[in-house]
Amino acid sequence: MSSGGEGEGGGSPAAPRNPAKFVSPKTVALYGILTALTTAVTMVLVVPFPPTRGFFNLGDAMVFFSALTFGMRAGAICGGIGSAIADVLLGFGYFAPITLVAKGSEGLVAGAIGRIKAGAPAAKLLGVAAGSLCMVSTYFFSEWVLYGIGPAIAEVPVNVAQVLIGGSIGILLSVPVSNLLRTAGRPHQER
Amino acid sequence: MTVFVDLYTDADTFLHRLDPRVKIVAVVLLSLLALIIGNLVHLLVLLAFVLLLLALGRATLSKTVFALKFVFRIMVMIVVLWPIFDPSGTPVLAELGPVKITEPAIWKGVAMAVRVCCLATVWYILMFTTSQRDLVRGLVKLGLRFDFGLALAIALRFIPTFGVTVESITDAQRARGLELDKGAPLRRSKNYVAVLVPTIVSALRTADMLSLALQSRAYGARPDRTYLRDLKMRWTDALALAVVVTIFAIPAIAKYLLDASL
Amino acid sequence: MIPSTAQVMPRPGKMVSVRDLKFTYEGGVEALRGVNLDIHEGEMLAIVGGNGSGKTTFAKILNGLLRPPSGSVVVDGKNASSMTVAELAKTVGYAFQNPDHQLFSSTVEDEVRFGPRNLGYPEAEVARMAGQAMDAMRLGAIRGLPPLSLRLSDRRRISIASVIAMDPKVLILDEPTTGLDAAETKNLMESVSMLNREGRTIVLITHDMRLVAEYAHRVVVMSNGRVLLDSDVSGAFSDLALLRQSSLEPPPVTLLAHGLSDHGIPKDIISPQELALRLLMLRGERQ
Repeated sequence: MSSGGEGEGGGSPAAPRNPAKFVSPKTVALYGILTALTTAVTMVLVVPFPPTRGFFNLGDAMVFFSALTFGMRAGAICGGIGSAIADVLLGFGYFAPITLVAKGSEGLVAGAIGRIKAGAPAAKLLGVAAGSLCMVSTYFFSEWVLYGIGPAIAEVPVNVAQVLIGGSIGILLSVPVSNLLRTAGRPHQER
Repeated sequence: MTVFVDLYTDADTFLHRLDPRVKIVAVVLLSLLALIIGNLVHLLVLLAFVLLLLALGRATLSKTVFALKFVFRIMVMIVVLWPIFDPSGTPVLAELGPVKITEPAIWKGVAMAVRVCCLATVWYILMFTTSQRDLVRGLVKLGLRFDFGLALAIALRFIPTFGVTVESITDAQRARGLELDKGAPLRRSKNYVAVLVPTIVSALRTADMLSLALQSRAYGARPDRTYLRDLKMRWTDALALAVVVTIFAIPAIAKYLLDASL
Repeated sequence: MIPSTAQVMPRPGKMVSVRDLKFTYEGGVEALRGVNLDIHEGEMLAIVGGNGSGKTTFAKILNGLLRPPSGSVVVDGKNASSMTVAELAKTVGYAFQNPDHQLFSSTVEDEVRFGPRNLGYPEAEVARMAGQAMDAMRLGAIRGLPPLSLRLSDRRRISIASVIAMDPKVLILDEPTTGLDAAETKNLMESVSMLNREGRTIVLITHDMRLVAEYAHRVVVMSNGRVLLDSDVSGAFSDLALLRQSSLEPPPVTLLAHGLSDHGIPKDIISPQELALRLLMLRGERQ
């Protein structure tokens, strides 16, 4: 696991010769896994929320986590594609392209801003807030076109609550995992 | 948990045999068509066509019901809310303060709901009849970079695994007295950290092992990959593509070139 | 080492009493098909059986993670089906097979405190309980380190400590020695034996028959969702056909004894020392 995980070739000096100009195997594996994780968490972890008797999924927590820990590229790709796959599997296939943009931009912006000054708390907060704005507004305008203004407005508080929960968990997650990556280098391998 | 992690059902219909690229293109074109036409009758015809294709692809009832469950809720919401926010047209059926309910708005709401239903169901023609492997292969052949295709294949492969991991870890933490649905919102978020950290760590361990497996199988050794089973367009695929393009092109041309109202 | 069977006799009194327990998973897999079992206070019980025999399902029902549709489960005199998982956690502790499914804190100490904190104990009490658990699993030296960067044997100790910190009367250990080397296994099981001697009821779920031979008081063999056999350790190992029916194999020393049974060696031998003793006696008789 490369702690930066960013960019072509993975940035690791130990990366093997890569004549085909593909991203490094580390990056392929990491991105595939983070994408699967985003989809699985979106589909499985739903939080009951009494005030509205609604359910929220924790997919945004994974998008923010990926972005804050592995950078904007991981946030955009894994967050966008992972959430889009969840849409397809949950029966909103037609919504997948919109989700790709909504969650992809959420991850991209959160990763770009949130890692300024080595991920200072203020940067993370700002990044999550800006990313949330991208997500909420993308969904709002898309639903306006697709469903009409009524359902679009009705969805806004739901999405806001979702990014509030997802954002706070995403920040909480990025701290211990970043520490783990930094102190241990990598989780201990089984011997 | 009644969530399908793979919508594909194995069968031997012409839709199953069709080149995945043709199906991907068809889904995109039919979706665009649903967005172009706004007339209720035309939308219903399109919906009937899509449902016919689903039936021909032998979609199982349980998967279809599951797939439409969420969409149905949205359709109801559109039918109810559209007239409230759309005051255009006459005759006015009811007026309550600033809210004006008109007959055309009601029909518009129904049409929008049918459109969403078309958009939702058309996806299942692809998803019910195309295996994940063929789907990824089709996307790569359509121009998706091979390494991204591989990452996508990895993702699809591990979704069910991680679904089980998340559930198992939730159990493990509940056995330590963790009550996920208890406490104020922030407290509740913290509860989920106890589930998500082990999940992420176990996933990142998997990524580490996977990257070694990729290296040991000479991933990226040469740019010109060969495939064991290559995709080839047959005449039936070409025919299907032609039919879909025609179905899309006629209304599109009618609307934008001939300026017909659809 | 002479097996502990003879040394520690379990005190009487039922800690867990299960009657006619059935469980079917959502997909239609019948995991339990009518299990009757009593677990006595203070004993070390081994539940063995092949993969898919229902061991883990049984354990998950004991601590409330799964709800049985039929049958009764009484734990420490209370009806388990009317208690939440968190309430049951005070009585039945369950250390999962994969320690990494429980670890998430930044220090060992925090990790061990998580359970008692969830149960709502005051912080001073939490510290005391966690301290005892860390002493019992010999974690004192690493209490400030991040659990996830430690080796597997340490992670397993931490995961067990984090369960016993809640001071449960029954401790269920699911395959506690998988992936450990001989020395690590011995260390871990010595800590577990100590917990047992202090009066805690231990349920050991395992495939490892040598572990069973060395540490358990009683063996329950499960197969296909039923209890096939419930006996003391040497009794369980004398029926080869039954063990094999449950995809199990007794330890090599028992197999050797079976092979030598024509020469007057009893079939229920479970320790090398015992076999050596019998062989010496046999030689004495021949001479």
